Amino acid sequence: MSNILEVKNIHSFINQFHILQDVDFVVPKGSITALLGRNGAGKTTTLKSILGLASVREGKVIFEGREVQGMPPFEIAALGIGFVPEHRAIFRDLSVEENLKIAERNKGDLDRKRTFIFDLFPDLKKFLNLRGTELSGGQQQMLAIARALVADNSLLLIDEPSEGLAPVIIEHMIDAIRQLSEQSTVVLVEQNFLVASKLAKYFVIIEEGKSVASGLMKDLEADKAMIHRYLGAA
Amino acid sequence: MKNNSSFLTKNRGILIFFAVMLLAPFLIGLFEGSTPLMIWGNQGSLSKFIEGLGIEIFILALFALSFDLLFGITGLLSFGHAMFFAVAAYLTGIALKTLAMPFWGVVLLVLLAAIVQALLFSLVLPRVKGITFTLVSLGLASVFHIIVMSSDMINLTGADVGLQGVPVPAFISPVTERLRFYVIALTLLVVTYLFYRRFVASPTGRVCVAIRENEDRAKMLGYNTTIFKVVVMIISSLTAATAGMLHALYQPSISPSIADLGFTVTGLLIVLIGGVGTLSGAIVGAFAFRLLDFTLRRFMGESASFITGAIYVIFVLFVPYGIVGTMRMRQLRTKPGWQRLLGMVKPKN
Amino acid sequence: MKTNLRKNSKAIIILVIIAAFLFVAARGMSGRDVLITVLRGFSTGSVTFLVAAGFSLIFGLLDVLNLAQGTLYMIGAYVGWTVYVRPDTFIDVLTPVLLILAGFSLSALWGRLASRIQLAPKARKIISWLLILAGFGLLALVLTRYPIAIWNLNNYSESPITYSYMADQGLRIIPAEVTFEKISPFLALAGLLVSSAISAFGIALLNRDESRSQTINWRKFLVPALLLLGGILAVVFNAQITSWMYAMSTNWLFVIAILIAILSGVGLGALMETTLIRPLYNRPIYQLMLTLGLGTIGLQIVQAVWGRPEFVWPKPEFFTGTGGACPATNLADLLEYNCSTVFLLGGRVRVYDEIFIPIVGIIVLIVVWILLKRSRIGMIIRAGVQDRQMVEALGINVRRVFTLVFALGVGLATFGGALAAPSTGLTPVMGERLLLSALIALAIGGLTSFPGAALGSLLVGLIQQFMIKYGQIGIPLPFTDAVFKPSPPLVPASTVLLMVIVLLILPGGLLGSKE
Repeated sequence: MSNILEVKNIHSFINQFHILQDVDFVVPKGSITALLGRNGAGKTTTLKSILGLASVREGKVIFEGREVQGMPPFEIAALGIGFVPEHRAIFRDLSVEENLKIAERNKGDLDRKRTFIFDLFPDLKKFLNLRGTELSGGQQQMLAIARALVADNSLLLIDEPSEGLAPVIIEHMIDAIRQLSEQSTVVLVEQNFLVASKLAKYFVIIEEGKSVASGLMKDLEADKAMIHRYLGAA
Repeated sequence: MKNNSSFLTKNRGILIFFAVMLLAPFLIGLFEGSTPLMIWGNQGSLSKFIEGLGIEIFILALFALSFDLLFGITGLLSFGHAMFFAVAAYLTGIALKTLAMPFWGVVLLVLLAAIVQALLFSLVLPRVKGITFTLVSLGLASVFHIIVMSSDMINLTGADVGLQGVPVPAFISPVTERLRFYVIALTLLVVTYLFYRRFVASPTGRVCVAIRENEDRAKMLGYNTTIFKVVVMIISSLTAATAGMLHALYQPSISPSIADLGFTVTGLLIVLIGGVGTLSGAIVGAFAFRLLDFTLRRFMGESASFITGAIYVIFVLFVPYGIVGTMRMRQLRTKPGWQRLLGMVKPKN
Repeated sequence: MKTNLRKNSKAIIILVIIAAFLFVAARGMSGRDVLITVLRGFSTGSVTFLVAAGFSLIFGLLDVLNLAQGTLYMIGAYVGWTVYVRPDTFIDVLTPVLLILAGFSLSALWGRLASRIQLAPKARKIISWLLILAGFGLLALVLTRYPIAIWNLNNYSESPITYSYMADQGLRIIPAEVTFEKISPFLALAGLLVSSAISAFGIALLNRDESRSQTINWRKFLVPALLLLGGILAVVFNAQITSWMYAMSTNWLFVIAILIAILSGVGLGALMETTLIRPLYNRPIYQLMLTLGLGTIGLQIVQAVWGRPEFVWPKPEFFTGTGGACPATNLADLLEYNCSTVFLLGGRVRVYDEIFIPIVGIIVLIVVWILLKRSRIGMIIRAGVQDRQMVEALGINVRRVFTLVFALGVGLATFGGALAAPSTGLTPVMGERLLLSALIALAIGGLTSFPGAALGSLLVGLIQQFMIKYGQIGIPLPFTDAVFKPSPPLVPASTVLLMVIVLLILPGGLLGSKE
């Protein structure tokens, strides 16, 4: 199948708030798709809806040919979806190694992926025994992404990874994401259009809870009018 | 759109209640063949009995009302609320009996003590989360309960037997002037209720509701939430103290059980049954609770408390909005239906 | 980083002040009085710790204030007592309990069946309730006819007080057996199983868990089968098992009693969480009120079954020796003569109350600490306390962990009750007192901190015992000859005062971090 994920006309709620009012798009397998839109448009809620962390009351979410809407989040995630949330959600009281170990779905996952992860993020090797709180923002972001790589996830949902990071670190992170996209499909939510355009092959624009445009990133880059219309001051 | 309806129409519920309850003793009296004049003169055993029951309900309603203001409106769950009530009751009893103070002096003393208590409980407010406040209030009240029960204080408080023999001034003696007591209690309840309604609708009251919903946001809007909480605490304490005073004057002996967690839970239960945050729910709940308790005790004796506990659990699980709360929710949903039925509102598309 | 340092230094200052206070206070007492008071502080602290730790784990992970902990503590004590003093009652009750559990433990099966049934919501609700009520009705019908040998609250010679006395004197006579008169055994067993199955199915239908893909394999039937087998064995071999238990050494009986108390707690906790707490997940205030209500109901039930008067739980043989070289002065004598008291620093110290209980408390502390820090489940719990959603997003079934933690928390409470009862006796108010102490301990130590529970409980225990001691011997006031004797109410008052002071300085408690 060419689309690893299909989101069909979903309406999502968070605590009685009707956040998504018809979002519809597909995610082709093996490449990076960017979810773009202004602040508060509903991008994070879209990611949460895929995982079941937001309540999908209408529509369908189809992952690898299987309908997953309405399933409890842990079951959806266990199908092979990794999540790197906004604000990273590192477990503060756990050590870096524990943060990675807890992401194992099958015994020995971490051991198998160790080389891969430390190739991608060599710094993590140094910090294995430090607690989550003691890492800098950039290091936490690396850890958050690394954590999503421990289990065998064919789809990675990454939410605003560049937020609050220094440009140098962002560069490193872009490299890392490009490398890991060779192994897994990535859905990337990014406010920073430059980062998104460097990485993504496809794009989907969300505005006010609805999906309004989609297509190839290179086409969007050329269309200044659309960028301005949906993404504000680009 | 300003609501220009008069005081009478806005508050017709409570005013009707007031009128009905005023007439009740007389109407009941008719059943047992006593003329209104006899009722006025405090004869007629059945109506005296009903008056007594009514007084107990009014006292409970006042207590529950004070709890609802604190918890239902402002979101402060105090597990020590019984202390406000009990301190007032014991203080009234001790002041009248042991200190032989004049009546109005006692009233003043009790109200002052209520304010002091409110400030005491508010000490930790600025810095702690809601749960910690709940625990601290529980701790403070438990200490008071233990003090009251201890045998060291037996001369003042009567320890676990209770405070007995409080000399009640003749003009409101519940024995000889029960009707007067009844009317006073009823009036206090209604006046307090009207005041509470006014308070909740006022800007101050709205801030309190905001604090309940999302305190951080209220703070960000520039409100010093601590001061609001202290104000509410004081009002609540004063009301509970009034109820406690009435209790001390009405009951022949004051039992220390009014100071324990069980009594706070009773208040919580009443508010829950009536509807948290509805204010009128406190009155409805008090009626439901006392009448239910009374009937069950009549027929089942000891097991009554078990049933009460079961009802509590049932309400928490299935009727979380209480009687009044659920009614209000239904109203919101059925109103458009009624309006459409009467052809007043065009249906959507 | 900076706030951490400031917070830690404040905590250390408070601890130093408390230590200084206790030290200065201790100077007015003789050495052996200090030792005894400290040991007693550890003892009270241990028991409080068990209840507080359970509360803290449950609150930390589930955000539920389990105010029924006090009642559960009490239930542990009463259940343990029943196993120890009246094993026949225990065995009689065992069969119905196991069979009812067997019916409920087929929940996976019921969940699957329930999700297969398509019904309109209203019809579903009505049918579920009818099933639940029918199940409970049938259960009541069977239970009232089921033969259980039990004490008689209206007859002093058959009351728990008398049975305790007899056990204390070593008169272990098996009371008269009650037989299957009103109902045949087969019908009773079938009735129990069927009624619980119907109710469980009704509940599954009502809750309609969203998880559609629960796989049914043979493993799911293992637990119910074992329970069923156990129940049947217990009734078939009732007389044999009972006489075996009456004849066994009280030391082993004691161990069994404690184990049963713990298991009951774990079972009750799991039951509570799955049936009552979980549906209210989105309404924390109601969860709190529910636990409060359950605590009250539990208290009523205990009073109804075991009555209100206090009675004792006689200590097992290991701790009751008085002959020979007792009170012992060295370990060898202690073990040989099983002395009930020892001489330490010139004072008599009770072995069970002041040595055994604190040791057990420390062992539990270490075991749970290791569990939290070293095991995978402990890691999941620690992570879940911080961010439940993220843990779930990692593919971990957090709900199952919730049930586990709740069951563990309740198990700790019942363990505490059974452990403390031989020392404190059994009375219906024991739960309330412990809950208050535990809450104060947690407020001081930090509501969600496991080490905070330990520290807070220790402080509360020490202060309580010191205040009690001063109530007896008085504090000599400086500059005068007068002696201040704090009266009993001041004991809890002093701990509350400490709590208020600590909270004013450190709102999260000494070791608390979750703001």
